[in-house]
Amino acid sequence: MAIRMLSAILLSAFSSLSLAQVAGTPPNGRLLASNCFQCHGTNGKAVSGMERLAGMSASELKKELAEMKLESDKGIMTVHAGAYTDAQIAAIAAYLATVR
Amino acid sequence: MKFTRRNILAAMGAGGLSLLPFSRAFADDLPSSLLGTNPIWIPSNAPITPVPTTYATAGRVVVIGGGMAGTTVAKYLRIWGGSKVQVTLVEPSSAYVANIMSNLVLNNQVSQSSLYFNWNRLTTYYGVQRIQGTVSGIDPVNRKVTLAGGSTLSYDRLVVAPGIEMDVVPGLESAAAQALVPHAWMPGTQISTLRTQIQSMAAGGTFLISVPKAPYRCPPGPYERACVVADYFRVYKPGSKVIVLDENPAIVAEAHTFTNAFASLGIIYRPSTAVVSVDAVNRSVVTSAGTTIKASVLNIIPNHRAGRVLSNNGLVNVGGRWAGVDVLTYQSTVAGASNIHIIGDSTSSGQPKSGHIGNQEAKICADAIVRAFLGLAPDQQVMTNTACYSPVSATKASWLTAIYAYDPLSQAMKVTANSPGEALSPSSDNLQEMRQWFSNLMTDSFA
Repeated sequence: MAIRMLSAILLSAFSSLSLAQVAGTPPNGRLLASNCFQCHGTNGKAVSGMERLAGMSASELKKELAEMKLESDKGIMTVHAGAYTDAQIAAIAAYLATVR
Repeated sequence: MKFTRRNILAAMGAGGLSLLPFSRAFADDLPSSLLGTNPIWIPSNAPITPVPTTYATAGRVVVIGGGMAGTTVAKYLRIWGGSKVQVTLVEPSSAYVANIMSNLVLNNQVSQSSLYFNWNRLTTYYGVQRIQGTVSGIDPVNRKVTLAGGSTLSYDRLVVAPGIEMDVVPGLESAAAQALVPHAWMPGTQISTLRTQIQSMAAGGTFLISVPKAPYRCPPGPYERACVVADYFRVYKPGSKVIVLDENPAIVAEAHTFTNAFASLGIIYRPSTAVVSVDAVNRSVVTSAGTTIKASVLNIIPNHRAGRVLSNNGLVNVGGRWAGVDVLTYQSTVAGASNIHIIGDSTSSGQPKSGHIGNQEAKICADAIVRAFLGLAPDQQVMTNTACYSPVSATKASWLTAIYAYDPLSQAMKVTANSPGEALSPSSDNLQEMRQWFSNLMTDSFA
């Protein structure tokens, strides 16, 4: 019973989310992810040299950023990846995985 | 006349611009003979992000200023707001000249023509309405902008992104004096003038550059220019000197990189030294230390302030120079002006003044306006980054980056714990990355 109620609540939440998305509600992670676009292109579609992010899965993106956080060479991406929390990186990766 | 990018381009006029061989969004159309040794390449088939037609959001936005911040906000209002968000971009110039990369015009590594961009992609693919014109007034009560010709534009939200204006240095009041002593800090004809002066200087001469009082546009820029010129002298003008007069007490950005570069290039650095007056004809300056210094080429970069459209309309409220903003939305902090957003180098936002950060401020502003049209509160989880590359010679560049996050306690942007970071040493790989960074940044803003 409790599970069924929870499902109903979730379903209703999902439905209103879908409606909101149609109306243009900013998806979670979009504004954070837009910090990537100056170097990696609008929606991650890089035009010159830099890695293309569009088309990568959320898990690939999360894995790469987690690795970059730990790199010892202190490259520019080590600094960038290290500035975001794991939750923020998850939101960025989830959003980027939806754009093409 | 005070120096502004607007004034310079207006002074160049339509005739001046038509003399330039190219004024287009994409450098790859240029014949290779007009490019530097390493052309900046922005593909003409850069991806187009769709403008959704299904969103219910509607609203009218007028954007004043088509530089890095203004152009980016216009583009992102459409791709994030959808086709019902009407966006009108008002900009007096027929082309945008990139400041970024312009120091490499001085040593022939980049052609000036490859730094020209336009707004054709914004109008063609993103449905932005463009008006080539000048704003004469803003009426925040009735939400109207008046153009120089007398016509008016109504708005629900106004975004003002005018770039900077410069103080007038004693001795450089006249156009004739300004022509002799270019700041070349808002590239137009001035970067070419400075290039000619540097390249026609006799070996054994002196190049003197002044660093304005912070905050100013592109913090590493003056130091970068000093290095690029000193490296050019090393090869082509042996025995010449570079002197840096810095009004600030120490190097403002990339202190590690520039301290090393100044030492290896023999650059003479004078901190806490302001330029008090200039003799343009005799090419000398009087400094705040009471000394008079003569040079063969003078590059005096005056102190900055917010664009005139802001001061003329009561939107400058920080230290008499800058426009205060709420960094979650970029709304003006002037009472009664909450429908006016201000982005880019005119703001007092606690972040560096640069095209890269102006681009991100534009995205935060676009997101906040779209949310406001939907009746939603602004996102509290706001971050920005300043990634920037600096050439120190014809073959090597450095980089600097800082990431900022919104701090709810102070309601300000704070640099994150692990940043800023800067390159361990300049390299040719960094120079290559700089060209890629520039191509992507300009595409994200203009294409």
